[in-house]
Parts: sequence; C-alpha cells; structure tokens
Amino acid sequence: MGGGCEILLAGLGKKDAKKLAAHGIKEVSRIEQKYSRYRPDSAVSRINASAGTDWCECDDETRALLDYSDALYRSSAGLFDVTSGVLRRAWNFDKAEVPSQEALLPLLKLVGWRRVERRESAVRLPEEGMQLDFGGIGKEYAADAAAEVLADHGALHGYVNLAGDIRIIGPKPDGEPWTIGIRDPRNSGGMIASIPVASGAIATSGDYERFFELEGRRYCHILNPVTGFPVTFWRSVSVLAPLATTAGSVTTITMLLEAEGLHYLKDSGFMFLAVDQAGKVHYNH
Amino acid sequence: MMIMYGLSGCSSVQPWEKQNLAKPEMTFEGDRLDTGYTEHIYSSKEASSGGAGVGGGGCGCN
Amino acid sequence: MEYVPIKSSNRKSRVVGALFASAAMLLPSAKNAMADAAPEQGIVSMKYLNYHDSQKGDTDLTAGMSKDRMTVNALSFMGMVPIAGKWSVAATFIEDSVTGASPAYHGSGFPANTSSGASGDLRHAGDLNVTRYFSRGTLTLGTSYSQESDYKSLGCSLNGTLSTESKNTTFSLGAAYNNDTIDLSRPNVVDSKKSDTPGKKRVVSGLFGVTQVMSQNDIMQMTVTLTDGDGYYSDPYKNPDVRPGKRRMFTFMSRWNHHFDGPNGTARLSYRYYTDTFGIKAHTFDAEYVQLLPKGWEITPSLRYYSQGAADFYVPVGDAEFADPTHFTPPPAGAKHYSEDQRLSAFGAFSYGIKVSKDLGRSWLADVKYEHCEQRYNWGINGKGDPGIPTFNMSAIQVGLSRKF
Repeated sequence: MGGGCEILLAGLGKKDAKKLAAHGIKEVSRIEQKYSRYRPDSAVSRINASAGTDWCECDDETRALLDYSDALYRSSAGLFDVTSGVLRRAWNFDKAEVPSQEALLPLLKLVGWRRVERRESAVRLPEEGMQLDFGGIGKEYAADAAAEVLADHGALHGYVNLAGDIRIIGPKPDGEPWTIGIRDPRNSGGMIASIPVASGAIATSGDYERFFELEGRRYCHILNPVTGFPVTFWRSVSVLAPLATTAGSVTTITMLLEAEGLHYLKDSGFMFLAVDQAGKVHYNH
Repeated sequence: MMIMYGLSGCSSVQPWEKQNLAKPEMTFEGDRLDTGYTEHIYSSKEASSGGAGVGGGGCGCN
Repeated sequence: MEYVPIKSSNRKSRVVGALFASAAMLLPSAKNAMADAAPEQGIVSMKYLNYHDSQKGDTDLTAGMSKDRMTVNALSFMGMVPIAGKWSVAATFIEDSVTGASPAYHGSGFPANTSSGASGDLRHAGDLNVTRYFSRGTLTLGTSYSQESDYKSLGCSLNGTLSTESKNTTFSLGAAYNNDTIDLSRPNVVDSKKSDTPGKKRVVSGLFGVTQVMSQNDIMQMTVTLTDGDGYYSDPYKNPDVRPGKRRMFTFMSRWNHHFDGPNGTARLSYRYYTDTFGIKAHTFDAEYVQLLPKGWEITPSLRYYSQGAADFYVPVGDAEFADPTHFTPPPAGAKHYSEDQRLSAFGAFSYGIKVSKDLGRSWLADVKYEHCEQRYNWGINGKGDPGIPTFNMSAIQVGLSRKF
C-alpha cells in the first residue's frame, strides 16, 4: 500500500473496536489482493496475462472500476490513464537514472486507454505487454469501501487512513471534527496545515512519496502517459471531497495537469491546498 | 476552403492527443523579432508582401 | 462537505456501482481548464541584425556593375506580459540605421552622396498589442508606428480568432488601417518630385483565415488577404518613376507544419500567391525543418524560392542604356505610369538559411541565424526577366537573446 494504514474507531470499548476494525481490515485486504499487479491470481493479473489474446470476464466490482477509469480518462483530457503503469519499468527510483528515449518509446507504445476493448462485462487488452494498473484508484477505493463496511456494522465515530488517503466514518464522539495534518512536501517530519474534518474524505498526492533527484531536478512517481516523464509543477495537492475515491482522483489529475491543474481545482468546487514547485501555497476557503 | 472541410471530417484529434501540436515549432506564431526582420527585408527588396497577418507597421519602401 | 449515504440493502453489488457512480459524478472536467488562456509566462527578448546587400555584374550585359550597396544595423526589443490569465500585452520596438544606397534606375544611377539613400538614415518603429482571451477565441487590438527622416507611418488593427469546441478548427478575421506620410522636400528627392506638400498614402487591409488540425502531428493554415491602397506610391528617389495612385493587392497563403515523432523534428512548409493591380504576380515557397537536439540545442535549416513577374509599367533596360549606363532608358512615349525600379522587374530568387538556438537554462534562450538570398533576372517563372539588371545578393545575420519569466 506504500505507507502506514490505520483504522481509528472511537466511542466504544477496546474489544469491540478490535472486532469491528477486523471487518474493515478484511475489506481493505480483499481489495488490495484483488487488484494487485504483483499477485498472479488477482483479477488484474488475469486481465494483464491475457493481453493480446482472449477476452476476460469481469464481475460487477471490476466492471464498475473500469467504468470509473474511463470517466477519469475523459475528465482529465486523457492524462489519467490506467494503462500507463508499464512506464514504471523504465523508471528505477532506487537507481536515480533518467531512462533514454530508446527505453521509453516501446513502453509508450503500450499506453492508451482508448485502445482497451470492452464488451458488456468483459475486457481485453489488444496488445501483448499492455497492462492495467489500478494503483492510482485502488487505495482510495479501499478506504471508501472499508469505511462503508464499518458503518454498516455500526461504526459511528472514526476514520480509515490508508497512507494519507482518509475517509471519515463519523466525527469524534463529542461531535468535534478530527484534525488532519497535511505533510510538508519538503520536510518529512513537518506539517504545513492542520484541517478540521468532520465528514467526507481528504486525499493528498505529492512528489515526495517515491522519487529521486538528479542534477537539482526531482523525478517523482507520477508519470505523464504521453511523454513518459514525471510531472514537475506541483509538490503536493490535497483535496477535501465527499468520497476518498473522488478526492484522490482530483489530486492525481491536478498533478498530471501541471500548470492547468489550478483551474481544474478551482472548477471542482472542492476545498484544496496545493504547493507548487516554487513552494508557493495555493488554497481556497 | 472546400478541400479543408472535406479533410477535417476525417480526423478529430482529442485534447489528450495534442501534446505535439502544442509544441512551439508546431504553431504558426514563431519568433516575432526574427519574422519582423525577415519580412521587412524581403518586402523591401521584392514587389510582394504580407500574407500571414495584417497590422504590422507600414513600410517606407516605396 | 456532505457525506453521501449508501443504502445497506442488497449491499455488495449496489454499493460498488453506486460508489463509483457518485465518485464519477463529482469529478470536474479538465476541458474547462484548457480554455483559451493567456500564456503562463511572459517573455522579454532582444535581437541584433546585420544586413548587407550588393549587386554583381557577372554577365556580359551587366559587366562592370558590381557594387556594394546597402548595410543595415538594427536592434529590436520585444516584451510580452500575461495579465490575470485573460489578457496579454505585447510591445515591440526597433531601431535601425542604414548606410549605403540603392540605384536610381535599374542597376545604375547611385547618388554621389552615399550616406543618404532611398531608405533614409535612422528608422524607429514600434507596435503595441493588447489581447483578450475568451473560452474559444481571442481579440487583439494593435497600434503601430514607423518613423524615418523622410517617412512616417501610423497604423491600427483588430484581429480576432474563434475556435470550434474541439479547438481543431480556428477561424481568423483581421482588419488594419495604415496612414503614411512621405516627405518630398529633402535635398536628394528627384527634382521633378520635390514638393513642400508631403505625399500621403492610406492603406486598408482585411484578412480571413482558417487553421485546421489535420492529425496529431499535422496542422494546416490557409489565409486570404485583401489590401486596398490609395495615395503616393511613386519612389521619390528614383527617376524615371511615376506609379499609379492606387494599388489593390490579393494574397493567398497556405502553411503546413508536420511533426516527425521519430527524430522529434518538425517540417514547416508554406506557399504564398500574390497578385496586385500593378500587374505583378508572385509565388513564394518556403521550407524549414526544426530539429531538436540534446542539451537544449535546436537547429533549423531553411530554403526559400521566390518568383515575381514585372509590373505592367516596368521599363526594362534599353539598347542605349546597355551602351551607356549613365543614361537611363526613356519611358515609352505617352506612358502614364513607368518605373525602372528593379524591384518591379521579373526575377527569381533562391535563399538558404540556418538558425541555431540553445536553451541556456534558467529560462534564457540564445539564437543565431544566417540567411543569404540571390536574385537573378532569369530564375523566375513569371515571365521574361530584364537581362540588364545585375544579380542581386543580400545576406543577414541575426543574434538574439530572450528570457521567460
């Protein structure tokens, strides 16, 4: 999951909380395993393995996820592309090397959501080597799904926090909002803001999660699907929205839109806080 | 004009496909000072002038 | 922040579909974010020009006519500032100084005093443009002026663009008005044209164009320009030279840019057809190739071919002038309009050029360009040229520096 995961429940005894939390943990694990690229038996791996050959039947959940991927592609003018995961093969964040055009070009040829074929409840990747990667959606979806499972089992106060993507189940037992800190993108221990949130969700995308720096330039893990290169305009973007899925998508799309991301954030109507590469903080109230 | 309308029906380039079209060398603007000098030189040594735009300074090269 | 409630009946499949549907409904669209907008950055740049031309008597008929002619040194500045995302203001200023002279007729008759020729000594020119950006178009208001010792021009223009929803098609419409004043009282004005009343010229022009995206790597533009001019068109320093008091011009220009993904280069091609009421027709073919190289270098070689026909009233070099170049050929008896200005004769010209630029980092850019052009009477495809006109050569070097902010 790429970070600490916690489920915080308040207003009930320790034993009950542990039992309740287990439902949430079970739901997060289920989703993580179902959509993990690294597990050969996951739904995503089955689809990826059939690239260039047969159609793959999907259940309702996967189908909804694919519909959502399509909505994201259209909403972001094509920059949020769930087939762009293959580009990560060219970028090794442990080695601090910028890949050459020869390394990127064959991978860029495998990127293109528009080419993914869909039929009713089946999906097919037309070319061998193409891959679906729900890494940009999965975590936030899991936070929403777990929060809802917990709410269904009677949870009233608490939140689900998956590596910085948080979905609130309910405010503190006394009705007060939770205080969520937003990490300083350049100072790993520090916070740049503390936001009171009583409901809904908050998500953050940043260039500090996985990156390397070379000759004064930072290369982060969010890659533009057309150029194959990391985005550079924003250091971090945080958004408050009713659902973690939406909040997380808006932050990622803002990072991908780079300079135009500010108009996108303002148009969204959501509360946001974004830090650009000069360190300037943009926000609305 | 007719030719262009016929051809435009064939392609509909989506916003996410316009990365190359946005490059400066793919626009028709170009280096203003360079074009300024070049057009002034040619129009003062040839009989024809203009074509790309209206509104530049008048030329004293009668 | 409202919490979107999900009903717990029939949970599994309903929740999933509903969750993603709600999430999708809340997504803003990036399309609005990509409306026509002022550029993100402003730019300031300067450019120096050194221009030199000469004629070469390299045929039997023009032997002995070789001569250096004119040299120009110029410096220009440009600045563009975006304002509030919806406006931009751009201004240009240029100063050039001219030394040397042009012939009074054909390739002969250079004035004895070579420092003041047909183009004046020092010229200043500038323009200011204000652009407003709308969601699918732009509107630009411009003013310009140009001032030399013997000539002044003032102009204003209005240009607008309008794009379709997809921005794949853009229409342009423009109009401009220019008012010129020519001083006819200076010492080196031909006696018969001297006057204390300055010559005046009014020129109105209109443009209509379409820019069309043809593919991810192709974009094309076609433009038609009509110009109507009224006033003083003769050249005060040339003799014999009496030109019509009206001139209407028609220009059709088409341009095509093609991007090559493999080498990451762009070919830029253009063709222009020109015709006017002086009887002149001309074709211009331009081709350049922009090649991006590593480390921020960019190289652009270019080629140009130009051909023009002669004006109806152009008087070519006659036998008597071939024998003795100090006497110009008299115009035909009874001719209302006549000129022996080589710029109105039929000729063809080939140019080649190369431009190199480098991104110096921290938003600085430097560029150098060299271009050379040769005009010959027998290189044109618009009718017979005048063999009495010597070959004409011009070359220019530009050096520029710019910074984005």
